[in-house]
Amino acid sequence: MSTTSAAHTAERTSGRGLEILASDFGWHHAEREVPALHGLNVQIPAGQKVLLLGASGAGKSTLLHALAGVLEADERQIATGVLKIHQQDAFARKFPVGLMQQDPETQIVQSRVGDDVAFGAENLGIAPEVIRARIPQVLKEVGLGDLDLAHRTQELSGGQKQRLALAGILAMNPGLMLLDEPTANIDPAGIEPLRDAVLAAANTTGATLIVVEHRLQAWAKHVDRVLVLAPGGGIVHDLDPQALFDDEKIRRELAASGIWVPGFVPVTEPVGTSAGAQLLTAVELQASRGIHAERTQPVNLELHASRALVVLGENGAGKSTLALTLGGLLEPASGTLEVSPQLSQGQGNDPFSWRAGMLVARIGTVFQEPEHQFVTQSVREELAFAPTRARLAGSQQDQFDSQAVERRVEELLERLGLTALADANPFTLSGGEKRRLSVATVLAASPDVLILDEPTFGQDANTWLELATILIEELRSGTSVVAVTHDADFARALEASALHLTREADNAGRRIAVQGPMLDAPLGRSWLTKINPLAKLGAVAAATLPLISTIDGVSACVIIGATLLALPLAGLSVGRFLRRSWPLIIAGALAAWGIALVGEDSGATLISLGILSISEGSVNAGIATGLRAMALAVPTVLLLSSTNPSDLGGALAQQLKVPHRFVLGALAGMRLLGLLVEEFTTLTLARRARGVGDLRSPIQRVKAKLGQVLALLVQALRRAGRLAVTMEAKGFGTGTRTWVRSATFTLRDAAVLTVGILLGSAAIGAALWAGTFNLVWT
Amino acid sequence: MNVAPATTRAQWRVVDIVVASVIAVASGVIFWAWNAGYGIVSLAFVAFPPGTALLSGLWLFPAVLGALIIRKPGAALYCELLAAIISALLGSQWGLGVLISGVIQGLGAEVIFVAFRYRRWNLPVALLAGFMTGIFGGIGEAYLMGYVAEYTEAMKLFHVFATGISGLIIAGLLTWLATRALAKTGALGALTSRSAHLESPWGRV
Repeated sequence: MSTTSAAHTAERTSGRGLEILASDFGWHHAEREVPALHGLNVQIPAGQKVLLLGASGAGKSTLLHALAGVLEADERQIATGVLKIHQQDAFARKFPVGLMQQDPETQIVQSRVGDDVAFGAENLGIAPEVIRARIPQVLKEVGLGDLDLAHRTQELSGGQKQRLALAGILAMNPGLMLLDEPTANIDPAGIEPLRDAVLAAANTTGATLIVVEHRLQAWAKHVDRVLVLAPGGGIVHDLDPQALFDDEKIRRELAASGIWVPGFVPVTEPVGTSAGAQLLTAVELQASRGIHAERTQPVNLELHASRALVVLGENGAGKSTLALTLGGLLEPASGTLEVSPQLSQGQGNDPFSWRAGMLVARIGTVFQEPEHQFVTQSVREELAFAPTRARLAGSQQDQFDSQAVERRVEELLERLGLTALADANPFTLSGGEKRRLSVATVLAASPDVLILDEPTFGQDANTWLELATILIEELRSGTSVVAVTHDADFARALEASALHLTREADNAGRRIAVQGPMLDAPLGRSWLTKINPLAKLGAVAAATLPLISTIDGVSACVIIGATLLALPLAGLSVGRFLRRSWPLIIAGALAAWGIALVGEDSGATLISLGILSISEGSVNAGIATGLRAMALAVPTVLLLSSTNPSDLGGALAQQLKVPHRFVLGALAGMRLLGLLVEEFTTLTLARRARGVGDLRSPIQRVKAKLGQVLALLVQALRRAGRLAVTMEAKGFGTGTRTWVRSATFTLRDAAVLTVGILLGSAAIGAALWAGTFNLVWT
Repeated sequence: MNVAPATTRAQWRVVDIVVASVIAVASGVIFWAWNAGYGIVSLAFVAFPPGTALLSGLWLFPAVLGALIIRKPGAALYCELLAAIISALLGSQWGLGVLISGVIQGLGAEVIFVAFRYRRWNLPVALLAGFMTGIFGGIGEAYLMGYVAEYTEAMKLFHVFATGISGLIIAGLLTWLATRALAKTGALGALTSRSAHLESPWGRV
């Protein structure tokens, strides 16, 4: 049933919270054995602020998704009982409801700040002028009032992304806001500004608020009510928030299920060993992700056996980059990093130069995202992977024989409580289990130095305690531990010394951004940026596509010449044009060579190479083919350097009536391009840290690359799933939408299109006139 | 209670659209990573340029992968076309011609899936779809787009056949294996292909 824009517009003006009523409500996901929710009874009055707690698997997210209207009942998954919002069936989606999930990357849909704020409101069919007035207002409310509306959303920090998502929710003017661990994936510094923005919004709009969190410190004092959900058992506690501070029984019970009740720190045993041998020394070491990337400040440090070091510091200081460098995964930008002879055993003291098999047995690195390091299809294989690849120094000899590997695997399964899951696919484990497994897979090869990036980030108290216990055991057995962390309690538990990293001041001319393809690069203010994207696309198509019909140099030269003349309109100098188009020119040259070699021969033979020969005829054909390839390719540079894909998409949907669900879906996916490129690069490093890359045969190499591609697809699909939920919660695809950026087509646009058509005709005409026209389809 | 309309098998839900889009974008990333190494690989074929057709299956895989994962009419065409659009937006050596190629290749896979009425997603169908997307692509390049118009006739036929074989292996076999591996990770949970790893390679479903 599609909701009508009228219903939304009417309800929007009411400006008050919505009441929720669940009576014996339940939900059973497809292909799960037990229902996610069962027998839920609760009434939440309009405007109440509720903190919703429960162990993992209690159905908190399912309840939020049901209220947000993103669960869809079908023959495989069913709802039972009643769930009502303001006396209406929640599944009918009569009212706009805001939903925020924990992954900041997928709470944003559009590539520009202003467009993203408008997205939900547009889907609800709210009038464009109303939305336009609301955008600056809601951005100010969430503390992002200083941002330019064209600012790239990709450049915001995690905390800013969440606040932007909140602004988009506020623009929908919802009577109910649902937050699913909104602060779990953002830096501590971003938590309070986000929380304050949420509370302020709830207070001004009067919206009902439900927050799911497992770190309660930030929220406990600011909510009206605490509900505790039990797996399959509905609400087990309905509390006054003060109970989280005063009621010891409740505090103990919640802490036991992994919830961080305010002021709670799990108790660990003391490490109690003295420092051992020096294993790794850094002198004036600077780390960076590449030659053009920012560098960290110079660092001096020594790592000793049985000692822990934590790396602290603000965002952007390069803590993770330093950790990757210490782990032998990135090449030091300057300074030295030396391992002790005990560790290198005569194999060179620079770990970056080691083969992966040598590295895993000496320095292990645990990445922040466990899934980046999973390389097999079962927990057992995962644990056996590194020890099977561990090599003795300077040889291809295995460090562990197969029996030793088996013993280690069994021992680790036991120690981590994963024995029952030995045959499960690593990707199907719970968050805490994945975290423990990712640490265990690295420990499996008995590295002397263990490096961890934000190991406790987003973890519940139980996983935290298990991790701390494992690391304390490792310290006692002589391992050196380095952790990048914001978690002071964790540092204390490991009795760690601290290294404070501040942002390097001397970074002139260097960038933070990782290099890679970018679709929505800033465009500048050239004349062509003001032209309708469809007019430009049509002009380039009309000028270039006729060239497909002929292979000749004359028509190609007309188009290449016209492109060069038009460069100033796109604000391009010849140098910048060449920088953008050199791969296209090289490809043209390669095409020319191919034809010269295997094209039809005629005229004098110039070179003979067995069955292939180069003749006058094939050289001429090659040159024409190469010019044609360049003429097809280079005019697109004018289009790309002056067109934002979002504007092109908007014009396609509004003016050519291409279905908007597909256009906006494609644009939302394209926003993730930069992120996926970054993820692909991270995967290369994460997999080397697991021992992938110590490969001898080409087949092993190909298999390793295919594994990496598969790992990328898994991450892409996970993001896509969360992004789809965000878009559905923002009312995407439910009815007629409005557009804040309306596409226009002026006389100037028509002129550009006409010039394109004339150029295409002129090119073909010139070839006919010169007598070089050479039809392809003969 | 259940007032949400039951979507039919042919309708695209939001999650289908978003997943298909992200698959195409991830394919764009793979093209990008591949391009970096492709120059070196294709240099190996400088002595025999038509040999590069054996590698072109890499540009064909989004069509079959998208269809095997989404299992909706048009998925092959949509994923291949969007991957081509992303190539074009990043700057393609084929200019806007890459969009035409994308449509032709996508249609190659789509005709196989429609021939099985969007009911079969097993190994033989995947192999056929991979092969056909290559044959369509190869014919498009050799006879319609004229990228190798100056080849001798024998070389053109070799080009078409080599592209088909490349499609069979990379776009057919590898994507079928990838779909099963992805299903095992639980990453396809929200999609019709969620239990692809439990289906028989030759089976009816």
